[in-house]
Amino acid sequence: MSVKIEASEGGRPHNEILGFGLIGSLVCIYLTYLNVLTGTEIFSFFGGLGAVIALAWGSDTIKHLCSYGLGTGVPSAGMIAFGSGVIAMLFATKFGIAAPVAALVIAALLGAVIGYVSDKVVSMNIPVMVISLIELAIVGALTMMGLAAMAGGSFMFADLVAGSTTVFGIEIASYGSSVIGGSVLAVIFILGSIAVQHPFNACLGPGEQQDRTLMLAAECGFLSMIGVAVISFAFIGFGSAVVALLVSIIGWAYTYMEYIKLSRRDAYDWLDAKPIHEPKGGA
Amino acid sequence: MSALGGGAGGGEGMNPTATIVGLVIMLIALAATFVVGGMSAALVLVGIIIGGVLVGFGVHFVPVGGAPAAMGQAPGIATGVAMLAAGAGLAGLFGGAWAAELGLAVALAGGAVGGGLMMAITCMFVNIVYVFGMGIPSASGKVDKDPITGDTFPAYKSQGTEGHGLPFISYVGGVIGGALGGLGGTLIYLQLLFLYEEMLPAMLNASAEEILPVAVSLAGIFAIGMFLVNAVIAAYNITGTIEGPHDPKFKRFPRAIVGAAIASAVCGLVAILIVAV
Repeated sequence: MSVKIEASEGGRPHNEILGFGLIGSLVCIYLTYLNVLTGTEIFSFFGGLGAVIALAWGSDTIKHLCSYGLGTGVPSAGMIAFGSGVIAMLFATKFGIAAPVAALVIAALLGAVIGYVSDKVVSMNIPVMVISLIELAIVGALTMMGLAAMAGGSFMFADLVAGSTTVFGIEIASYGSSVIGGSVLAVIFILGSIAVQHPFNACLGPGEQQDRTLMLAAECGFLSMIGVAVISFAFIGFGSAVVALLVSIIGWAYTYMEYIKLSRRDAYDWLDAKPIHEPKGGA
Repeated sequence: MSALGGGAGGGEGMNPTATIVGLVIMLIALAATFVVGGMSAALVLVGIIIGGVLVGFGVHFVPVGGAPAAMGQAPGIATGVAMLAAGAGLAGLFGGAWAAELGLAVALAGGAVGGGLMMAITCMFVNIVYVFGMGIPSASGKVDKDPITGDTFPAYKSQGTEGHGLPFISYVGGVIGGALGGLGGTLIYLQLLFLYEEMLPAMLNASAEEILPVAVSLAGIFAIGMFLVNAVIAAYNITGTIEGPHDPKFKRFPRAIVGAAIASAVCGLVAILIVAV
């Protein structure tokens, strides 16, 4: 049996963050569909914002789950989240416009089976195991889908496997230069799983505060977004990719400064050590 | 080790009700695959289940030390199960994937050698750091005598620790675990690759050569996903640290085999549905 240890006092209840994360990330991923409606690629960055919201929710879920003591370290939860999430997300892309909702449903089913296996067959006996792994699988699937939509401008399978390359000045269709065919998903996978497992792993311990952990989650999410924005130069128009890169950098800079402020607030003391200046003309 | 403390789950023995429910879920997944994709798809799923079971079983051999090992207070490699399994499994997957064109046997051997080699190198450098960097001898805390070399441990074990360093039996366990993990991961990858190479040309209305990048990346990312799911389920079964095949916790492996089979069946069904529907 497992004993629950409260990770932190106060903060918003987990269900509130669950609701906000689920609806927020779904809405943001659907906003990338404006690309199709308006015939541009400028709205791709909404996929990344959806991923950031899902990552913040995922960090809170990991905190909820790990307060029972998994015995395997926090990163394992992030790995199983994205391992099951990527499977659900790839199948869901086949459902066209319904893809984000399909990702949610398929990931929930996969998460339920894996949660049941972990809780009962492997005898972890943690009360929140099943619901947490369902949430984490959905987080993994929505994050992957958001970042893939950001890189490729669409969350549909037909668009994600289609790419074009230029040979001797002639543009030809090539599956190898698409988001899936170019194995960009592998990079997105690891960018997302690091972002979901790091925040609670870094902030846990006595004095852990929910707002600080979630701010770090958003910061990690925007950091992953910067990477995906750079990748997106290969798949979407130059202007749209620049917009995505600017949004990511501004978001990252803001959340990073806020995180430092919160860390200063929670720290016992703070010494602003200046770098050691070399004397002029060498030592 | 848990970061926040708290009681570890686990214990010995299997939960009969849950095992039967799980096996029924596995059979439903197999039946569903047979209905949508016919016999060939069902055989692919059987291959995926075998691969997943090999991964789940292999993880139990790997000497995982966690944070206590980093401080020289427990034997094993100083990181978590998920990281070690991912390292060995992905190295094996890369080892096997390049040989996919040379047929099943060569590719599987490549995967096993890749995973085993990765763990052999990791274990060697872990011992170099332990012995020459931290100045600690290798001593197991779970057994008094190394089952292979016959070295005795109690005289070398520091008081207050559960042993330290990486004894020879743990090294051997690590290599076996890496080989099994690499073999399982490569088997999952190859099964999916052959299925996608067969089905994708009709689905995307393109030649087999054109869709090869899509088939390779889809199979690769699905294999990575399934590998991590199976490795983490095995990690939950071990609950933290294990010294290798001589550790009493090793006897828990039947639970992980059942768990990995169920999870692989359901994940494999979804991976097959992407081309079958």
